[in-house]
Amino acid sequence: MPPEPPEDPPSSDDRPNPWGEASGEELVEAVTGATSERTVLPSESDSAPAAEQFNCPNCGGSIEIKAAGYSVSIVCQYCGSTLDITNPDVSIIQRYEGEVRKLELPLGSRGELRGVEWEVIGYQRRSENGSYPWDEYLLFNPYEGYRYLDTDGRGWSFGQQLTASPEKKSLLGFEVDGEFYEPFYAQTRAQVDYVLGEFYWRVEVGEEALTADFVRPGKMLSWERSAKETVWTLTELLEPNEITDAFGIEPPRGGGLPLPHQPSPYRKKAGQFMKLALAVGAALLIITALFGGTSDPQTTRINLATNGVEQMAKIGPITLERPRQAVTVSAQAPGIENSWVDLTYTLTNNDTGEIFEANNVVERYSGRDAEGNWSEGSSYTTSKFSMIPAGTYELNVYAAGSRWTGSQYGSSSNAQVEVTIEKGATFYSNLFLALLVVFIPALWQWWKHLSFESRRRSDSDFAGDDDD
Amino acid sequence: MIFQSPALPARICDYCHSTVKRIAEGVELAGEVAVLPFDVSPIQIGTRGEYAGMHFDVIGRIRLAYDQGAWNDWLCLFSDMTHGWLSESDGQFQMVRERPLSEIRSKLVGRLVAGDTVQIGERTQIDGAEFVVADARKATCVAAEGELPFAPETGWEVFNVDLRDAEGFSANFEAEEDEDPAFYMGRYVTLAELNPKNLRAIHGWKMPDYAA
Repeated sequence: MPPEPPEDPPSSDDRPNPWGEASGEELVEAVTGATSERTVLPSESDSAPAAEQFNCPNCGGSIEIKAAGYSVSIVCQYCGSTLDITNPDVSIIQRYEGEVRKLELPLGSRGELRGVEWEVIGYQRRSENGSYPWDEYLLFNPYEGYRYLDTDGRGWSFGQQLTASPEKKSLLGFEVDGEFYEPFYAQTRAQVDYVLGEFYWRVEVGEEALTADFVRPGKMLSWERSAKETVWTLTELLEPNEITDAFGIEPPRGGGLPLPHQPSPYRKKAGQFMKLALAVGAALLIITALFGGTSDPQTTRINLATNGVEQMAKIGPITLERPRQAVTVSAQAPGIENSWVDLTYTLTNNDTGEIFEANNVVERYSGRDAEGNWSEGSSYTTSKFSMIPAGTYELNVYAAGSRWTGSQYGSSSNAQVEVTIEKGATFYSNLFLALLVVFIPALWQWWKHLSFESRRRSDSDFAGDDDD
Repeated sequence: MIFQSPALPARICDYCHSTVKRIAEGVELAGEVAVLPFDVSPIQIGTRGEYAGMHFDVIGRIRLAYDQGAWNDWLCLFSDMTHGWLSESDGQFQMVRERPLSEIRSKLVGRLVAGDTVQIGERTQIDGAEFVVADARKATCVAAEGELPFAPETGWEVFNVDLRDAEGFSANFEAEEDEDPAFYMGRYVTLAELNPKNLRAIHGWKMPDYAA
């Protein structure tokens, strides 16, 4: 049964505003002797009662204790007074009269999270000395104990206090259930700014604790030390729809930096793309190696002078059996110096007369300048014909040597060019292009992943070199 | 009045809250304890379960309170007629069984036996594992029910130290005035892993699947 509000109902503004400041008159008074007696609410079935009821000794509002036997203090949801419920007579710890906040998850609301039904019984707004505020809801189920729901507006996290004391695994990190948590926020002071509902400890606005946080994707391990105890809490980041499905509230608005424990949305994709790229890359290499390569070389030599006069030579016949096949023609002129040889190849099908043509050049220059000896060019070059239809071919080679006029040496000289024709080819440039196409999406995803991780870590006190 | 455990000397009457003590030829009245305050604990006298391969029955309970809260220690009678305590605090459970203090070679425990206090966060080795002091407090027995290994009196005080390790194992040291201190070891458990039956049905809450 929903608790009846006292004569002065809370704000009728039904938009939740957990961030808004409570308005209205505030009046904090010293403790007085007012008390109120608790009564157990009768159960309508043969099961045990689930709650106790009492009237707030300050405002008279009807309050239910949902975790009787565990709860130590309650902050009245109507007047905000802090009440001690450790004794049968409820007494006031701190009187307060002001408008209480409307909560995004109202006290008493129930929702099913990860297969268990939970009731919202407490709410705290906490911050680091007024900055970086977050909401912390206390959830209860008598068979499962307590859980926490935290949000700072970017996402909701579902937390459970640990019974084990986590083990330090390295200089800074901790391990829980074999999973490593890296440090994220260094030790800092957190305070309670606002509180409503019931708790298993003595709540108090202004209460301080030291906190530190450790993360792994999707999870956060939080350490909290107060004057009385050290508590470790493990929280899991909920999917936006989980909080909507459980409590029917709007999904988190998101935006801003990623949460410290937010898993990179690109990580999985980047990994998959990279795996795919590696597999395809390996397959391409194998295919190139299998189907590449050359065979049946035939060679001819052409003697020429570097005087621009064209010489001609024939090679062949060469027979291509496959319907479509590559042909490689290579030229080598080891003796040339400060000269070049223009080469024109025509590959002619003896039966059909079809002609395939290619041009190339071998060239080599050297000299000496202010910076010392230099040389450039190559006396070796290859041309590749691809997709040549089956048939018997002859290759005509037209070679014309020229001398570099900038050379201070000699005039016309003799040169020899050796031309070889082979069946088949290895198209490494095609392979390179294919690999580029295959790896670009993977590298793009990795880049997105790394930049997400860098933004996520930018808020950490332990960000390394990649920090801004 | 039925005693389930032949070894236990005391039983609290379900109807009048009198403590009845067993003597050589029958029973004698040993005082009265306060009525248990209402709580929503899922355990009740008669809850059954399994722990370390043995069945147990919950047969008694003491409730201890301190300035920051209260907890229940449920007495479990195992099928081999030994006892254990299922300690319930802030919705967390640990099952512990007594260990003779003579077996515990820990400097910190030695200090406790000598009557020293310890600080939260202090560490010690017990049975080769590193334990840390999680809690140390003086509590008062505020109520009791069922069969118990002693005749409780309301207002009886105990100094309790909780230790835990990284794997979920736990240890408790207990000292009372005019009594020898006692040491308990066990581990934190979830209700589900105790495979419990006859949990308390609580109005408006679904009995969990593991207890159905």
